[in-house]
Amino acid sequence: MYRTMVLALGLTLGTGTIALADSPWTGGDNLPTSPLACDSSGGGGGAAAGNYDGGQPTGAPDLKGKPVKVVDVPKLIGIGYFNATSKGIADAAKELGNVDAKTDGPTQANIDQQITFIDNYITSGVNGILFSANDPVAIAPVLKKALSKGIHVVGYDANSQPDAREWFVNQAQFNGIGKAMVDDMAKEIGEDGAFAIVTSTFTTPNQARWISEMAAYQAKCHPKMKWLETVEAQEDNNLSFNQATTLINKYGDDLKGIFGMTSVATPASAEAVTQANKCGKIAVVGLATPNAMKPYVAKDCVKSVVLWNPVDLGYAAMYVLRAAIDGDLKPGATSVKAGKLGELQIINGSEVLLGAPTTFTKDNINDFDF
Amino acid sequence: MTLQALARPVPARSWRVVAESYGQELVILGALIVLFVGVGLYNPRFLSSTNLTSVFVGNAFIAIAAIGMSMVIISGNIDVSVGSLIGVLGTIAGTLAVNGYPIIVCWLVPILIGVVINAVVGVLVAYARIPSIVVTLGMLSILKGGLISATGGAWISNLPPEFMLAQFRLFGLPSSIYFMVILTVAAALWMRYSTFGRTIYAIGGNPEAARVTGIRIERSVVAVFAIHGMFAGIAAILFATQLQVIQSTVPPNLELTVITASVVGGVSILGGTGTVIGSTLAAILFAAIGSSLVFLNVSAYWLRAVQGLMILATVLADMARRRRI
Amino acid sequence: MTAALDRVLRHESILGLLLIATLAVLAGQSEAFFTADNLLNQGRLMAEVGLVTLPMTFVIITGGIDLSVGSIFGLCCILLGVFWQKVGMPLPVAMVAAILMGGVAGLGNGIIITRFKVPPLIATLATLALYRGLAEGIAQARSVRGYPDWFFQLGQYDFLGAPTQLWILIALFIAAAFVLGMTTFGRTIYAIGSNEVAARFSGLKVDRAKLVIYGTSGLISGLAAVIFVSRVSTTRSDMGTGLELDVITAVVLGGTSIFGGRGTIIGTGLGLILMQALKNGLALAGVKGDGTIVVIGAVLIAAILIGNLLSRNGDG
Repeated sequence: MYRTMVLALGLTLGTGTIALADSPWTGGDNLPTSPLACDSSGGGGGAAAGNYDGGQPTGAPDLKGKPVKVVDVPKLIGIGYFNATSKGIADAAKELGNVDAKTDGPTQANIDQQITFIDNYITSGVNGILFSANDPVAIAPVLKKALSKGIHVVGYDANSQPDAREWFVNQAQFNGIGKAMVDDMAKEIGEDGAFAIVTSTFTTPNQARWISEMAAYQAKCHPKMKWLETVEAQEDNNLSFNQATTLINKYGDDLKGIFGMTSVATPASAEAVTQANKCGKIAVVGLATPNAMKPYVAKDCVKSVVLWNPVDLGYAAMYVLRAAIDGDLKPGATSVKAGKLGELQIINGSEVLLGAPTTFTKDNINDFDF
Repeated sequence: MTLQALARPVPARSWRVVAESYGQELVILGALIVLFVGVGLYNPRFLSSTNLTSVFVGNAFIAIAAIGMSMVIISGNIDVSVGSLIGVLGTIAGTLAVNGYPIIVCWLVPILIGVVINAVVGVLVAYARIPSIVVTLGMLSILKGGLISATGGAWISNLPPEFMLAQFRLFGLPSSIYFMVILTVAAALWMRYSTFGRTIYAIGGNPEAARVTGIRIERSVVAVFAIHGMFAGIAAILFATQLQVIQSTVPPNLELTVITASVVGGVSILGGTGTVIGSTLAAILFAAIGSSLVFLNVSAYWLRAVQGLMILATVLADMARRRRI
Repeated sequence: MTAALDRVLRHESILGLLLIATLAVLAGQSEAFFTADNLLNQGRLMAEVGLVTLPMTFVIITGGIDLSVGSIFGLCCILLGVFWQKVGMPLPVAMVAAILMGGVAGLGNGIIITRFKVPPLIATLATLALYRGLAEGIAQARSVRGYPDWFFQLGQYDFLGAPTQLWILIALFIAAAFVLGMTTFGRTIYAIGSNEVAARFSGLKVDRAKLVIYGTSGLISGLAAVIFVSRVSTTRSDMGTGLELDVITAVVLGGTSIFGGRGTIIGTGLGLILMQALKNGLALAGVKGDGTIVVIGAVLIAAILIGNLLSRNGDG
């Protein structure tokens, strides 16, 4: 059976060659980018109000001021980030007093399951749905079905196609995040440092957008910085850690910084840097929840963590949904009142902007608990 | 080793005999060497001590879980719930730790719970005669759902440093490596030379013959599952202490990785053959493959395809080897 | 044969009773459950899993298993998009081509199992990774969207009052039940499962039968994939992950023995409906996702346990 073994070996080498010949994956998508100005002005915002492009529910009952039931279906449950948005939603529901809000979702970032969850809640007769989409197009049919049954739909964190939801609460502009992350990295590793990226999977739209914007901004404003590699690590702690460690081992002293693109990848990368005794030699900049990063920031291993406040994000989403249910927020509005967050601006027709990204550092990280 | 092999008197150590009984292990060892040499030539940093350590440590907990899994498979059964079990036990360990229990309690209680849970599985398999794949398929869901319900999805952080077993170092090497090596060798010797070890092979190889020789199959099956639970518990502690936080969701496909490690390591799904050394080597091989693909700049898009092919190649090589004998 | 028939009927009847009991309880918990609208909708949602359970029943009856169905599903999703957009085939041709490629993938499984004698569990464990990897590699993280409206007829619209895919499911269900229960091929499948060596010596074309069922398993996974793409209007390389577990649970719940030799399509159908009813009914009753999977796991073990206890008491 040597033939078998030769066949097996040949197959492996064959695919290996295809794999090697393929162009390296950057992690970004192919959509157009719009990098911001290089100086310290122009953080977020600056986008026009635009024409309303969201979808509207048909035959929604008049529930102004009445108690309603809403459900929040995030990409997945069981990670710190969505635990935080869930908390924000719960806080807002409590403040509003007449909302019964529940968070339920798949244990894996899987669009098939997310659709089933939403479908079941449509049948069970909720009045409103909050979501963060695993896939903007795949989720559209079921959301449109919700709208057609008079259910209000508001998205946050990860958008769907605009006509499948009424409003989308955007945490920060993609290019704003790109700018914040790259500027922070440049500050730490210098204008000609080399960096690598640890991200989620190929198919996660938000991460792909951020990476594209980061690449565009870096090419424009920090052209001498060098991108080394992007690795995928799903939403798995262990895998992120292993991938980051492999990167550190592979590039040795050439690697000066790691970007963590998910709230799982960043602490895992920081842990990898710590365990490799490279604190201070390799910078870790990324998106993460403060609690996960406190040990590393305290040790000065990580200088800054970029994020918006996911608790605020969930909070705002809940207020927007309530306003939509009550009929207070109509197409064409240019701002919306979101409880203690004040007036939030509406841009691009149907996006509610939370604000500029927050940077957590040693000075302020202990003020937050999520 | 099949029952026939056990009945044959063991001949003097000739290479043929060793190759016969340890064929698959040698194939994997060969693959490892080829990999190290090949990738090392391409990028010498692959062979740096830090990287080699990472490769050996990376899948150490999988190797340990695979020891128990190999025993279960050798006995003719299977366990698809081991991933969820590790998640549950790890969370229990972490919860005990942050609530201030003595560290030895935090380490031993999850192992004990793993033994109990899997003993229940063993009872259902042996006495209620429910096929192991069915019981463990159900148990997978029960444990996974139970874990989310109990933790609400929250992560466990602020773990006390004394708890972090996987991060202790001895002579510069992380403790996981020692656990992996010692447990593998101990289990291998025990499987080969102890009565119970031979019993497991016998049950898997030919249950009817085993019963006729007086082996109490039901009790042995429960015992195998219980021991597997113990190994899962140890693996869970190492898994939980690798990083500063314990994720409350189970890594997807963990059970498939463990089963694949056993199977690629030469444990036959038909029962009765294979060793735990093979499964440990296979687990190390997977970590090495994962790392080497990054070093070789294999496009991330094709990573899983190459991994799948390597598994297939190893399996085909194993089949080819068996046919020759 | 009568004794076996009795045993089989007993499990299906127990399952039938369990199903009725479950439906009654769930209907009591939520008024939205037992409406035509909801039931038809569930029929739509379970079509993909349901289709794949049909060939899986055949596979498990022969004592084998196919863990790669989810990966073949994902691969066919991607291929549909690639054939249509990149290769430029007209959409109907692309659909057929994608389904056929699923069959090819399934045949690949069959060849590894029959020609190279790799046990099905291991073979399909390897192809699970391989086919998923191929899907990822071919897709290059790009989704294919923008299908013409008639394409969505398959997944999103109705035909004569019921979801289109439900009709397809019912048609294939009847066909599968017929083949398994009333043709020589079906008897061959049972024979292989009961005693493969004896079947071989009896002159039955065991290898060919296996190639057929594994190939069909891939083919139907491809069909389910096309329906799914029509339902969600896009393609992703991670579609179908975890499908195999749902399918195997439904088949085993339906009374098909994992050791082979026993099982019916009707049983599989009952198992499928029971599982879907639980998933839907519990959600409507207010149970969250985690609670639902715990219940399904417990029901699986309990159903087999009860079946075993009763059959042991009933048999001589």
